[in-house]
Amino acid sequence: MIPACCVKDNDETNQGDKEMIRMLKGTGLFSALMMAVAVPASAQDDPAAAARSNIESYSGIPEFTAPGEPFDARSCMEGKSILTVPASSAIPFIKTIADQKDALARELGFKHAQWENQGNPTQWIQGMDYAANNGFDLVSLLAGADPRFFEPQVKTAQAAGVKVVTSHLTGLEIPAPAGVDANTAIDYKQAGTLMADWTIAQTDAKVNALIIVSNEALSTDSLVDGLTEGFAKCPDCAYEIVNVPIVDWATRIQPTVQGKLQANPDINYVIPIYDSMSTFVTPAIAISGKRDTVKVATFNGTPFVLDLIREGTVEMDIGENLDWIAHAMLDAEMRLLCGLDAVTDSKVPLRVFTADNIADVGDPAEASKGYGDAYVEGYRKLWKVAE
Amino acid sequence: MQKSDLAYQLERFGLVIVWVAFIALFGALRPDTFLTWSNFSTIFGSEAVLVIVTLGLMIPLTAGDFDLSIAQTLTLVSMATAILDARMDLPLALVLPLGLAIGAFIGLINGAITLYFRVHSLIVTLGVGTFLHGITLWIGNSQTISGVSPVLMEWVIIQRVMGIPVAFYYAIALAFLIWYMLSYTAFGQHLLFTGRGREVGRLTGVAVGKVRLTAFVLSGVLGAFAGILYTGTTGSANPSSGTFLLLPAFAAAFLGATCIRPGRFNPWGSVIAVYFLVTGINGLSVLGFRTFVQDLFYGGALVLAVMVSQLVSGRKERGL
Repeated sequence: MIPACCVKDNDETNQGDKEMIRMLKGTGLFSALMMAVAVPASAQDDPAAAARSNIESYSGIPEFTAPGEPFDARSCMEGKSILTVPASSAIPFIKTIADQKDALARELGFKHAQWENQGNPTQWIQGMDYAANNGFDLVSLLAGADPRFFEPQVKTAQAAGVKVVTSHLTGLEIPAPAGVDANTAIDYKQAGTLMADWTIAQTDAKVNALIIVSNEALSTDSLVDGLTEGFAKCPDCAYEIVNVPIVDWATRIQPTVQGKLQANPDINYVIPIYDSMSTFVTPAIAISGKRDTVKVATFNGTPFVLDLIREGTVEMDIGENLDWIAHAMLDAEMRLLCGLDAVTDSKVPLRVFTADNIADVGDPAEASKGYGDAYVEGYRKLWKVAE
Repeated sequence: MQKSDLAYQLERFGLVIVWVAFIALFGALRPDTFLTWSNFSTIFGSEAVLVIVTLGLMIPLTAGDFDLSIAQTLTLVSMATAILDARMDLPLALVLPLGLAIGAFIGLINGAITLYFRVHSLIVTLGVGTFLHGITLWIGNSQTISGVSPVLMEWVIIQRVMGIPVAFYYAIALAFLIWYMLSYTAFGQHLLFTGRGREVGRLTGVAVGKVRLTAFVLSGVLGAFAGILYTGTTGSANPSSGTFLLLPAFAAAFLGATCIRPGRFNPWGSVIAVYFLVTGINGLSVLGFRTFVQDLFYGGALVLAVMVSQLVSGRKERGL
């Protein structure tokens, strides 16, 4: 195990990995310096205690935090319209958010439509053109419809008077991509930190983690930043980051994890940063005969992975409430159309799910269960539709 | 036709020799990690599903037909198994035969359309496969279904013999059965005749249509069996991940046809091809190479092996 945050380096590692490792070491050292200034002495002395405290604060039912001032949503949205272009209507996670936005818009009495598609960028472009030609006031690119693929169409729509926003695409610290009018983000960095903190807390600050990422997703940068900052607090922790492109998850994750577990028998955590990767990580651990020594901590709160916590094959999953996301994204979009300040931080909370609180999500797990319902009333008060 | 000279033996065992050379190379570079029984048990235990898909493809290929729907059969049966077991709580004793019956039915449809309408199997199975994917997404609501009975996982990857998960032995047993069928049964010989020349086969009294139909049904059943094992490997069913096995399975089938019985799709060649590719990928992972190198290895090994095989055999025309 290599001390002093964080990454092991060996002769066999290739050039690309070395570059990544140098970069991470730089980030780690910088983060360590920052932490030395920012973190109380007790946290530095006992990283496991600090990590436990952070995990604890994200383990309960989350409270509602208003993302801005109250406004009269019904009257200011009258006659206005929003078109949501989801990354793919075939992905239940995204389709659920879009459907919830539909229902909320109906409740508030304005027009909201979805541009149904199967994740093809040419379909996103058709959606942009449709919005520009049919008098929509705002296009919401939802959860992965990446405007960098169609910047000219974004400009054309803006020139036609349509506001274009990205919703649930990036972390808080990433600027709005491709010149869109606003970017309503999720605290992915905190999710990354929580994954690091969980492993630090569970191992008493002796983590040796294999982190699986997919660099092409915009949220990956923030998640990895959170992880590296989290591990920077832990001098006896080591980790290695491996990139597996999304299209290769089914064929590459399993052999890669198996190879790494063989090459480094000290690995005690695998952190697939998106929890759908777990499908391929858990058999790799089982086949390697390491179910007792290697645990899985991950992010997204996808229902089937929450079920895996109940079964004991995944130890921890950080979730976010899809219905809450729908409320938060629509709130930000309405504010933009009502001339209020743009919202960057959606204030959508994260919750850490483990064996201790998994009963809250139902059996089998449901997408929006386990987060309480404070937001339902909270947003309605914010929109002045409830007392 | 067979040559007994050194060149023929080299051709027969060329892939095995390269495989051993790779093991020696990786072993020399990382003896402490690569040359361990636990690593080999990982290599052998992890790709049983791919071996079975490859064996399933091999049967219609031997008869001169393609089955592009096999990966979708796998995915559909995997999803059906998970839904019937985890969501509907049906006993595995009922779920497993049902899964195999679905596979047989798909094979029957493929064969019937191909034979009755005289459409090329490539097109029929491509269409049927896409249709099956639609059904999989529909019944699974595009979601991953987990909660599959631990008994299934137990009898796929948890139970071990000599440290290797039992799924490996299922694959080897199937390879043995197919080898026996092709070498020692009348159906196996008819399959070969049908693949080599349908008209000649017909004129010599082979029921070509029946043989081709049976080949499709067997392919469907093996695809279904692979689907059940896939669910047992991951403990869940994903609506699309199994579909990525199609190209590696074709690569292994064609690579396997360059060894043991060169110029002919053969089960032991296919098994060796799969484990040769898996050994390479495992070795590269152990050495710390990034994942794109695995693609370079996969594609490069296939093309190189076929080229070398052709050179050794004196660049004769292949009958594949």
